[in-house]
Amino acid sequence: MDISVRKRAEVQLIQLRGQLRLGPAVDELRLVIEEALGSGDIRIAINLAEVPMIDSSGIGLLVRFLASTKQRGGNIKLVRPSKFAIQTLRLVGVLNLFEIFDDDDAAVESFA
Amino acid sequence: MSADSSIGGKGGELSGLLDLRMPADSQAIANVTDTISATLIQLGIPEEKRLEIALAVQEALANAVVHGCKSDPSKEIRFRLQRDSQGRIVITVTDPGPGFSLATLPDPKQPEKLYANHGRGVYLIRQLMDEVHFEHGGTQVTMWKY
Repeated sequence: MDISVRKRAEVQLIQLRGQLRLGPAVDELRLVIEEALGSGDIRIAINLAEVPMIDSSGIGLLVRFLASTKQRGGNIKLVRPSKFAIQTLRLVGVLNLFEIFDDDDAAVESFA
Repeated sequence: MSADSSIGGKGGELSGLLDLRMPADSQAIANVTDTISATLIQLGIPEEKRLEIALAVQEALANAVVHGCKSDPSKEIRFRLQRDSQGRIVITVTDPGPGFSLATLPDPKQPEKLYANHGRGVYLIRQLMDEVHFEHGGTQVTMWKY
């Protein structure tokens, strides 16, 4: 999985490309988010437009960090999840936990 | 990982497409699921169905690695992809672990479980596939996609 991170208006924008699944992909994303939280960055937007599949370990990672950012007054928001990713999140009942946006700009502005 | 396409089907009703063995290492799962996806493409399986099968396989292999084998790469997991006489996809994942009881698995959609970082794999498998059987005390899962 390719992961790129940039900061815009105090929001960490994380762009993922590839399958978010158990193994290196989930491990690398966990490190990226932990590093952001360690730096006090609790406003995070994750762009999933190029993530065709998220497995249960990826979902577990997202909801776990969603909880921890919210506890600190922040949030994790999702940008353009694929149709199958949305279907998967809905199947396990966590889709409604997330705010979802059509593009990075909208996600960033929503934190203002 | 080794592959053998000459496996015979159960009672002659199943035709073998893949018979793979992989070490119980989470990093090995991607290779298997990618191989399966490529095979499903060759079979002309539509994308939506392909993704559902691939995710179910991903979850079954992850369970086998993490729970069945405690991520011990010296242990081996077997994966079989077959097709029955009606053209349905049949997948079997076998691990050498102690197994588990379905009755002990909580419902991941319960409100108190929504933020849990685990416990969704078997639920997803059962939602994504049309028929799922856990056999041999939970050390083998066989799942069908119609």
